[in-house]
Amino acid sequence: MRHDFLDRYSRLSSPIHRLPAGVKLGTALGLVLTIVMIPPGALWVFSLPAVVLLATAAISRIPLAFLVRRILFFEPLVLGIAALNLLRPGGGRIFLAVLIKSTLSLFTMILLANTTPFHALLRVFRSAGVPPLFITVLALMYRYLFVLVDEAERMTRARSSRTFDRNGARLWRSTASVIVQLFLRSSERAERIFAAMTARGWK
Amino acid sequence: MKALAIRHLSYRYPDGTAALDDVSLSVEENECIGLIGPNGSGKSTLLLHVNGILPERTQGESGVSVFGMAVCPETLPAIRRTVGLLFQDPDDQLFCPTVYEDVAFGPQQFGESGDAVRSAVMEALERTGLKGFGARSPHHLSGGEKQRVCLAGILACRPRMLVLDEPTSDLDPRGKRELAALLQRLTATKIIATHDLELVVKLCSRAVVMDGGRIVADGPTVELLSNEELMVKHGLEKPHILQHSHPHTNYPLSPDHG
Repeated sequence: MRHDFLDRYSRLSSPIHRLPAGVKLGTALGLVLTIVMIPPGALWVFSLPAVVLLATAAISRIPLAFLVRRILFFEPLVLGIAALNLLRPGGGRIFLAVLIKSTLSLFTMILLANTTPFHALLRVFRSAGVPPLFITVLALMYRYLFVLVDEAERMTRARSSRTFDRNGARLWRSTASVIVQLFLRSSERAERIFAAMTARGWK
Repeated sequence: MKALAIRHLSYRYPDGTAALDDVSLSVEENECIGLIGPNGSGKSTLLLHVNGILPERTQGESGVSVFGMAVCPETLPAIRRTVGLLFQDPDDQLFCPTVYEDVAFGPQQFGESGDAVRSAVMEALERTGLKGFGARSPHHLSGGEKQRVCLAGILACRPRMLVLDEPTSDLDPRGKRELAALLQRLTATKIIATHDLELVVKLCSRAVVMDGGRIVADGPTVELLSNEELMVKHGLEKPHILQHSHPHTNYPLSPDHG
């Protein structure tokens, strides 16, 4: 059961956690926007948002090691995009700027997710006038992400308990069938969820 | 007035599998019925007809009527309010981010608002022993707690009929005991589809046996479930608590099942 791999610390109690969700969401979006707008020429300016973020992290009592691990987890994506700049003449500086910008933005979002329960964020969206259908989709996605991960984990475990050799091709084939199964099961589950929603008056 | 009347209902799934074959059943108000039978006998399919989830396209009446209302597109909102349907897998039914929102889902869909929703939710949580669970996320609950939240979500709509599909299949013995006690306290017409024959003996005065999409037996629980030949023929068994029963009445000897 790893149902907290996304936002393990979102239910801690700290001054940051106690702030209203709307304030945190607004600040986080503002911060990301600021980070994006800083011109790539002045790299030292990035130390300002970095200090703000580090201070917030310290006050929120989220273990720094956890935050670093989370950022490193997403870093390959960031690197992939940033690395394209290296092909341009004089791209080294832009590469550095893009790398710093995206890492800081990532840091902001990971902090937000781990200081604010997801349902509190949804409530902010709702009062901000985001269409209800969109919120329902987000809520369902968040709810069933964990169910899906659990299911995938059970299937992978069952598969490895019956895998006796490490033959590459065969391993790939069985991975593919796990993915297919997962897809089929999700679509069946979606049907059952829809029935359960209908049964309680969903229109 | 009959709580439920089903007349000559047949149903085929879109892929052609026959699931129900000329089923007729009638249930009195406040009766508690145990619907039993092997896997694939059509129990779940029958339950889905009771509040109009199946068939997907109803033209006119479907042969099912609930408290005098024929199940058809016009009566669906009223029917769904009257019939509370509990699904087998709690994860399918708990689709909201928090327990409170999930229990509030039904009343909100039925157009209630503000204090009415709040009091319905609080009452349902209290009746299911879940006071103080409102802010929890469904994925942080145990199996028994999830099942009780599902039940709370249904009770919040104040249904007159409870239709339960395998309510104890994911529960440990304690969870089963608690759920049985909870169901016993609720006054409503109850239809329970289950493999848990002890639960049927405990809660239901009448049992209906299904096999191959048909109703093959319908009668007093103790009488049907003591009939070993009937039970084995339809993939069931004589429950343990009926093994030691009174020689003349067939009723179990232990006082709390009498």
